[in-house]
Amino acid sequence: MRTLLTAMALALFAAGAQAQETIKIGVITDRVGVSKPYSEPATEGLIFGANEINRQGGVLGRKIELLVEDDQSRPDISAALARKLIDQGAVFIISMSLTPATQQQQTVTMEAKTPQMTPMNSGDTLTTQLPNPYFWQTGPLGSIQIATLLAHARTKSLKKVALISDNSDLGQLLARFFRAGLEKSGIQVVAEEVMPRGATTAEPQMQKIRAAKPDAMFMAGVLTAENVLILKAYRQYGLKFPIHSSYNLSVPVYMTVAKGLINGVTFVDAYDPEKPEVKAFESAYRNATGKAPFNLHGYGYDGITMVAEAIRRAGAPDKEKIRAAMQSLSFAGVMGAKGMKYSFPEGKRAGYDPNGMVVRVYEGDKQGRVVYAGQK
Amino acid sequence: MRDFLELAVSAAASGCVYGLVALAYLLMIRPTGIINFAVGEWAMLGAFGGFLLLTRFEWPYPLGMAAVVAAMLAVGWATERVAVRPLVERGAPPLAPILALLGMLVVFREIVSLSFPPDPHPVPYALEIQHQSFFIIAVTLAVFVAAWLFFERTITGRSFEAVALHRRAAALMGINLSRVTALSFAGGAGAAGLAGLLVSPNISAHYLMGVPLAIQGFTALVIGGVGRVEGALLGGLLLAFAEQLTARYAPIPSGYTQGVPLLFLMIFLLLRPTGLLRARS
Repeated sequence: MRTLLTAMALALFAAGAQAQETIKIGVITDRVGVSKPYSEPATEGLIFGANEINRQGGVLGRKIELLVEDDQSRPDISAALARKLIDQGAVFIISMSLTPATQQQQTVTMEAKTPQMTPMNSGDTLTTQLPNPYFWQTGPLGSIQIATLLAHARTKSLKKVALISDNSDLGQLLARFFRAGLEKSGIQVVAEEVMPRGATTAEPQMQKIRAAKPDAMFMAGVLTAENVLILKAYRQYGLKFPIHSSYNLSVPVYMTVAKGLINGVTFVDAYDPEKPEVKAFESAYRNATGKAPFNLHGYGYDGITMVAEAIRRAGAPDKEKIRAAMQSLSFAGVMGAKGMKYSFPEGKRAGYDPNGMVVRVYEGDKQGRVVYAGQK
Repeated sequence: MRDFLELAVSAAASGCVYGLVALAYLLMIRPTGIINFAVGEWAMLGAFGGFLLLTRFEWPYPLGMAAVVAAMLAVGWATERVAVRPLVERGAPPLAPILALLGMLVVFREIVSLSFPPDPHPVPYALEIQHQSFFIIAVTLAVFVAAWLFFERTITGRSFEAVALHRRAAALMGINLSRVTALSFAGGAGAAGLAGLLVSPNISAHYLMGVPLAIQGFTALVIGGVGRVEGALLGGLLLAFAEQLTARYAPIPSGYTQGVPLLFLMIFLLLRPTGLLRARS
């Protein structure tokens, strides 16, 4: 009996010691809020990446342990969750919900000197409003999206365009960058419309756009249902001007909810299905989970593999060493055009290569080929 | 002129959806005095019912529509049994069932959120895309005519009115209050579920679709007044026309037009707080 108890005690001690050996990484995601459709697949990609890393022996001989919290994309609770994760021993926080929530978390990570990164947020202001040396952003910025779309649009000789977005925080932020980019290129915005969340039709907005006779329409909204309303009104009115969209239309859900409406729409994406890294990722993900991944999974996967690489280069789970390693990182992942690398030159903390986005086109109801890459 | 006619059809269809949600509120408020903000989530359940039966199982539209409405009647009845009746029987204050129903709102939303992937789900049109608005208008008018006939021409409907006028006196006259309450919740859920089903081909079935519909329906109810069935439809139509005409013609930046219907509502509340149509004495 005594031998058995001793063995159990030793096993418990060993398990405890092993638990201490993990490297804790905090993840703040959105499981029930407005960002859930984006955060959930991205977090699935992140968890898959962590499992792959652990299967290959972990980082610095230690397993990665994810501490996952749900902030519902609410800035008011997001900072408290960041604090909780730091108190639980997280050496890095990966932010997977909306831009305003990520911004709020920075107030904690900056004060606690804890590295934080968002692999999917696209608001340009995340790395400019706070001088937080512990924060990085690797999602494609709104300004890169519009610049890439405009580079593609330049080949179409556009003179006057319409811009439509929605009244979400991110939709408004993207619309601002779209407008600035269009005006900088000398393209006149002849109609600018906003879709309210919860609208049941886009017909008034599309009538105004039709009356302005634009050469093309740019969509900056991020609310799927409202974007589908726009596409429905566009088809219903038989409009012919081309549509160029933000990366929101790169989410595959449009292939089902906008069936029959989306043929010919071009959209900016950070995912090139012909890229070798993408093919390898898709194959591994399918084998491990039985499900087909898409671009959002890639954001999460790149996030965790990049953080793991930074910790590996730091040589120890020390926050200051990780910060230095992260800042000097140059990393090729799943996302981005062929050959793209994330990097943070000259002290910048937004790491997505400005020439790393692609423009794709819907062919029928399917996300089709890459028709343009970069901004040149 | 073409723009105005297109917009009139679009606004009438949106107004009918708001009117159905307002009717759902009204059916419960009149006999019980309970404001049930979970009607938006009931509309969401109706939309998801449409997704399951019409998209996934590809049932014929009339059969799927009838099944969704029948299921929603059962949901409303069950909601009353679970969240309202126990409180009323224990003599809880009037606010208690309203709060319990707010809890049910979260329960409904989370059940759907956990049961379905987070993306919007497509629901097919009953007719071609360009005829869907006319279908919504026709179905809504049929529902309102039926509701009006029920309240004006049937004994059961009159018993609802009696309860609305004076609960205790109605009970003393032998009207079964529990039955009236259960029926009002079943009818409310049926109307809300139908609204969700009708609007879902446009906005897709989505777990966050309930709250905006609940707000729009409540606004329509306040405009039309809680006194008469036709007030709900009138309120819905006025709200939708205000929203869409403002968005199309008002000479203000597009971002500001969303506040105009609410401004309209506040002015309305100040000038005519009982709504457009008053209850018959």
